[in-house]
Amino acid sequence: MKRERVAIAGLTGCSGCQLTLLDCEDELPLLLKNADFDYFPMASSGIALKGEYDAALVEGCLSTQEGLKLLRNLREKSRLLVAFGACAVSGGVTAIRNDVPREELSRIVYGGDAVPGGGFEPAPLASAVKVDFDITGCPPEKADILEFFAGLSAGVLPIPARTFVCADCRARENICLLAEKGELCLGVLTRGGCNARCPSMNVPCEGCRGVAEETNFAEAMAIFSANGFSADRISEKGGRFFREFLHEKKEYQKTDPD
Amino acid sequence: MKKKSIRKLTRIEGDGQVELIRENGIVTDARFVISEGVRLFEALLAGRSFHEVPDMVCRICSICSTVHKVAALEAVEEAFGCMVSRQSAILRELAVNGGVIESHALHLYFLALPDYLGVAGFQEMATTAPELLQRGARIKKCGNLIQEIAGGRAVHPFNLVIGGTGSSPRKDSLLSLEDELESVIEDATSAPEIFQAGNDRFPELPVFPFFAVKGESRLSGDTVGLSTGELMTAASFRSWLGESAQEGSCAKVCNFGNSGIFVTGPSARRGIENMLDETSSPRDLSDDRKSPRQTVSPYLFNLHRAIELQQSLDRALMLVRLLLEEGIHEEKALRLAPRKSEVTKVIEAPRGTLLHHYEFDRDGVCICADITTPTAMNQAAVGISLRKLVQGMAGAGYGEIRSGCERLVRCFDPCLSCAVH
Ligand code: SF4
Repeated sequence: MKRERVAIAGLTGCSGCQLTLLDCEDELPLLLKNADFDYFPMASSGIALKGEYDAALVEGCLSTQEGLKLLRNLREKSRLLVAFGACAVSGGVTAIRNDVPREELSRIVYGGDAVPGGGFEPAPLASAVKVDFDITGCPPEKADILEFFAGLSAGVLPIPARTFVCADCRARENICLLAEKGELCLGVLTRGGCNARCPSMNVPCEGCRGVAEETNFAEAMAIFSANGFSADRISEKGGRFFREFLHEKKEYQKTDPD
Repeated sequence: MKKKSIRKLTRIEGDGQVELIRENGIVTDARFVISEGVRLFEALLAGRSFHEVPDMVCRICSICSTVHKVAALEAVEEAFGCMVSRQSAILRELAVNGGVIESHALHLYFLALPDYLGVAGFQEMATTAPELLQRGARIKKCGNLIQEIAGGRAVHPFNLVIGGTGSSPRKDSLLSLEDELESVIEDATSAPEIFQAGNDRFPELPVFPFFAVKGESRLSGDTVGLSTGELMTAASFRSWLGESAQEGSCAKVCNFGNSGIFVTGPSARRGIENMLDETSSPRDLSDDRKSPRQTVSPYLFNLHRAIELQQSLDRALMLVRLLLEEGIHEEKALRLAPRKSEVTKVIEAPRGTLLHHYEFDRDGVCICADITTPTAMNQAAVGISLRKLVQGMAGAGYGEIRSGCERLVRCFDPCLSCAVH
């Protein structure tokens, strides 16, 4: 059987999606039989991009010129380019202050005027190249990663979940954290498929799998405010993984000691 | 003529390079360059409610997500005068140990071992040393299992929440974890032998004074112990721990006033524990013979990491048994009442001392966040070690020196996402 040539790359992020792949300890031997991780600098010494790839899984957001160069290079050489995880799909948690010039944010942290490394606003991969498939989640579910690789060998892409986290919750007969416990649970907005991982442990969903299809934000906002959550609190928590919640301009304070 | 050549570092977390300076074809110097993109977490947190802080900061790094989360939770809780239940405290310590096990197993068996075996990475090990790779994978998996049971997930553990835990683990999962730990402890018995000093073929390397958190649980506390015998409080960190931006690196470089360059990490923890714990029974220090007690050398980092891997497994087993013995209770996370406050926590992350400092206004809005990570603390020591290595390898070819530099950087197990954040 043909082994798929795969590139695994990380742009700006926490490496959690690549780590989740490495965390598939039981499945790794089988994965290695079917796929050749020919470029995987986090786990292997080779750093040259050689030849064509059947798939490139790219983790992290786009925020540096070097990252952009690597991404374009991978796009050119790969049949399938996959946005691997929330940062790659939507920019991720570090895109929450893209309303403020980078220089201004950088000054708070580094003092000087120049942004170290010339970094720019965290952006999704699709802002620069064509993306063929999204593996969502922060981090993604192992099952989603494995499903992608199974599909790759079979020549098909997985069908993304069309349900909400709420549906997963109902299937597990969880009590509703929003309606019954008055917690700010974002399951009503969020793409399912994680088996309601967080609410099943009594922790409200933070929306890490991103927006579900056919989401009604206005209605969700109404439900949240009816439960006593302020618009600020909703947009803060919602803004982690939903661009739709981010204010255009939001005041924030400088961090001078006094 | 001077020439620079830059080479991307592999088998480490994040984006960095080794820069080699060549004069007339001879390598004369080396530099460690951290080029990971800046995410500006401290600025992102400013102006956000305390609720956001722990869930945001754990995203700084996946390998260390549990310890970032716990540091932030403890900081927020202390800021608002809240003490979590004993069970939650035990679960957090268990999760942090799970993080150490996972991180050390990943580093030792997946990222560093290829250096010892002379292969490119785990893929080659799967054919040349499958048994070793599987053993490492079992240990790593056990570290993940611990984090899943206590934290809900191996990466970004959501079940560790402000005021306690979302839900308590079930007795049967703790019982199976106990079994798993018992068998994985067997797997880890050979770790120190594999990672013995000398197996990694280095010339002489510099030694450094060191520091680590001195706390009750060995991992977290409010005081840092130095190898010089001094004790520093976390709250006064600005007086002993400086941090400044440096041209060419995306991570700030730490300095320790006039005291020289210190290192942090498993060797430092071991050193501080041995130094400060003189009343307890004498430990087996045979592996420390090559290095005097007041300093540690990168030679021994992997060995000490391997020994610590065993200690964390033992500690995790002890904590699991403690939970089982005391019985698991369903508990509700405590609600916090914000107040104006300033707080600093230190905790031992897999790579060394991690410091989280926050200031909150009376509504619990974070007005200042300041996070200092072990890799930033070790950055200066990595630089000096590289320079010394290049001197020690004088006469060797470019390729040999380059790979020596890469191996040396790896000994520090740097985490570049953390360093920059
Ligand atoms: S419940 Fe929500 S936050 Fe938790 S894993 Fe699923 S999508 Fe992510």
